[in-house]
Amino acid sequence: MSYPVSSSLLDGIVLAVVERESTYGYRITQDVQRVLDISESTLYPVLRRLQKDGCLTTYDEAFAGRNRRYYKITEHGRAQLRQHRIDWQNYKSGIDSIFFGG
Amino acid sequence: MNRNEYMAALRRALSVLPEEERASALRYYEEYFDDAGPENEQEVISDLGAPEKVAEQILADYRELTAVPRQNAGGTAEKNKRGRRGVPSWLLVVLVLLAIPVGVPLLGGLAIGAAGTVFGILVAAAAAVFAFVVVIPLGLLIAGIALCGFSFALWGTPASAVVTLGCGLALFALGVLATLLMIKLCTLLVPPLVRGLVAVIRWFIEKLRGRTRSNGGGMQ
Repeated sequence: MSYPVSSSLLDGIVLAVVERESTYGYRITQDVQRVLDISESTLYPVLRRLQKDGCLTTYDEAFAGRNRRYYKITEHGRAQLRQHRIDWQNYKSGIDSIFFGG
Repeated sequence: MNRNEYMAALRRALSVLPEEERASALRYYEEYFDDAGPENEQEVISDLGAPEKVAEQILADYRELTAVPRQNAGGTAEKNKRGRRGVPSWLLVVLVLLAIPVGVPLLGGLAIGAAGTVFGILVAAAAAVFAFVVVIPLGLLIAGIALCGFSFALWGTPASAVVTLGCGLALFALGVLATLLMIKLCTLLVPPLVRGLVAVIRWFIEKLRGRTRSNGGGMQ
């Protein structure tokens, strides 16, 4: 059974992935796909939005004779991620208390 | 479909986007193909799905992104609306003040005009009634007397004199009858007319008084 992933949860997940290390679109997709059943095309709009919101910045780095665009978390992104972690903890403990008893 | 065809289709599907947005999306997917490696090209194409679907997702998100400023625009629009709603309050005062020099004479003129019209109609009606009640009988009486008097001047031709005297007497008699009829009509019609008029005026005054009374009650 799979649960629909809200866009704010996806934002939090992407922020957490990028926080671990600055990385590029393909890798982020692979990392998220390991835990969530998302389409390959889901992440570009999320990355673009987070970039526009100032949570992520990009920089280019030469790789194999071409430029690869890397995503890097900003201070604002870190603050957002902290809030996501708090929200998730609350959400999770709420669901847990019903699933497994409080 | 190979990578180039896929990217061309995606470019076409994103043509409505601003150049910067489209370039960013296209670059992302170019890199995606690069990072997946040429050996995974077909797999990436099938995983990504139809370029139109991919583009639709990007466009939907872009619309959502631009919907944030649009919401702000909505906010300012609301502010504007509030401002617009605010304008009439002072504008109304200004308009009322401006309207006083024009409106009061205009309304006054209208009121005087209306009163004048009513008065004129009443006078005309009174004149008509006066003419009907007084002039016709009086005219008949005067004409009768005049013809009777004139008949004495015609004694030279007695037949003409007698005819004229007869006509005069007949007109006089008609005048007397008309006068009596008018007196009868007046005694019959005037009291109910006056009573009706008084009743209408009384009803009107009662209504005015009642309204001010109910207004006073409402204020307490």
